[in-house]
Amino acid sequence: MKRSALDGSQHTNVIYLVPGLLLYAAFVFGPIVAALGLSLTSWDGLTMPKWVGLGNYAALFSDSRFYIALRNNAELMIFYCVLPLVIGITLAACVWNLKQREQLALRTFLFLPYIMPTAVLGIIWAWLYNPAFGPFNQFLRAVGLGRFALPWLGDFNFVLPAVGIVATWYFFGFCMVIFLTGIQRIDPSLFDAAKVDGASARKTFFWITLPLLMPEIRVVLLLTVIASIKSFDLIFTMTRGGPANATLVPNIYMYQLGFELNRFGAAAAIAIVGALLTFVINFAIHRLLGSKSKGLA
Amino acid sequence: MRRSSNIPAATLFLRLILWLLAFVTITPFLLLLLTSIKSKADVLRGAFALPAYPHFENYVDAWNAGHFNIYFWNSITVVIPVVAASVFLGLLTGFAFAYLSFPLRRTLFAILTLGMMVPAEAFIIPLYYEMRYLGLINTYAALIVPQIAMSIPFSTIFLASAMQQLPEEVLEAAVLDGAGRFYILRKIVVPLMIPAMSTLALFLFIWTWNEFLIPFILVNDDAYRTLPLGMLFFQGRYTVNTPVLTAGAVIVIAPLILTYLIFQRRFIAGLTAGATK
Repeated sequence: MKRSALDGSQHTNVIYLVPGLLLYAAFVFGPIVAALGLSLTSWDGLTMPKWVGLGNYAALFSDSRFYIALRNNAELMIFYCVLPLVIGITLAACVWNLKQREQLALRTFLFLPYIMPTAVLGIIWAWLYNPAFGPFNQFLRAVGLGRFALPWLGDFNFVLPAVGIVATWYFFGFCMVIFLTGIQRIDPSLFDAAKVDGASARKTFFWITLPLLMPEIRVVLLLTVIASIKSFDLIFTMTRGGPANATLVPNIYMYQLGFELNRFGAAAAIAIVGALLTFVINFAIHRLLGSKSKGLA
Repeated sequence: MRRSSNIPAATLFLRLILWLLAFVTITPFLLLLLTSIKSKADVLRGAFALPAYPHFENYVDAWNAGHFNIYFWNSITVVIPVVAASVFLGLLTGFAFAYLSFPLRRTLFAILTLGMMVPAEAFIIPLYYEMRYLGLINTYAALIVPQIAMSIPFSTIFLASAMQQLPEEVLEAAVLDGAGRFYILRKIVVPLMIPAMSTLALFLFIWTWNEFLIPFILVNDDAYRTLPLGMLFFQGRYTVNTPVLTAGAVIVIAPLILTYLIFQRRFIAGLTAGATK
């Protein structure tokens, strides 16, 4: 970094950093480090923590419920990441050459779920899915599909997709908006050239739009993958991980172990595994899809 | 504009599908609004049936019996200091990262970005015990202070990168005029940062308003619950009284929809600027 005209002595510079970083250290970074330490102990929240080394991690990886949680999380990624990405990019390709006003109106509607609290969305969808008087089943009966009117959140086979659809609904408008800005960034002469060459809309999409949208695809993947690993609110308010572990995810399991069973060491270990998983996937996306981030540091 | 003349029939069909999809997307909200003005008897006649007349008393019930008056006030009490303090601290820290040199710069930046990637779920247990040790469980401080701390990485990075876009000449001129740094920050940088600051404030407002985990774990006294939390416990008590339940949900999301509709251009511009950075 080149030295700025505003730069002063390092002692006085630190004054600008201290308030923010102190607060951050006390209530975010400190607890992160503490969680790491806690995950190496066995602790009931009352007596002194007992050092167990990697015992909690070893126990987790021989715990069938933890594997169920990981598998559910992987399946949910189809609904959190893949579907919103595919729908979002398709919509962006359809919407971008509409007139400005119409584009704005569509964007406004499709983006709306994204600004809502996921906990409240979970409660709303639990009502929509209600088997007895929920609008969803009433709609199915009204259009003559009554035999498909299921107790969605109580059905072992359908509960995961039912919860997943809510995540897709939540994210696809958001993905579309990011892709729309991406398309607007692309040099229009490329599209014109393709048109002159007589390329079909499909060819233009696969050979120009898609490759040039790689930075946006990376961003969308990063954000949705992180969201899927930290998913808690939506699942907690809709199913609490049930029925019979069908929607159990690591963070729900962490909550149960920690705040319901007082096994805080084991719960912290799950939290750390989740954070590590986020880093690994983050790193993989950066490596696979390339990055040209211009950092501040 | 790009192309507006003679839209072929295929596009018309495509637009029909797009609008249908947009309608389906907002249907849950429309149903919510419709159900919130029904009587219990109306609900039994079907989700899509219209009530004979609007039952606004559901809102009165939710507001009073559901303690939404308390939750709403709590949400306001939490969101204002969080947004104000986060923007202020983000300005100071962002200013440092944008213009100043200091020891461990790279390390500190890495530690800061760590906080953006690690979700609150990962450190909620130590945070809970820390707040308990400080005697802050069931206080407004439990809702406000960690929320500010959690927003510092984003505020810093968002404002620092906005500051780096400012023309260096303006700042150099001010330095040559002999102005002090804090003076320059206050009188030159801050006025130029108003658009970025208001976008940031908008984001922080939405995130803080929507926060679930922090109030869920750090507060168990009804007197300190915020709206999303109030909604959860409300759901437990009113599962059978659908109209009042949906009225409660409308109370939680109405301020969000209002804010979104007013600021939606700024919101989306900021989102894409922040996300693709």
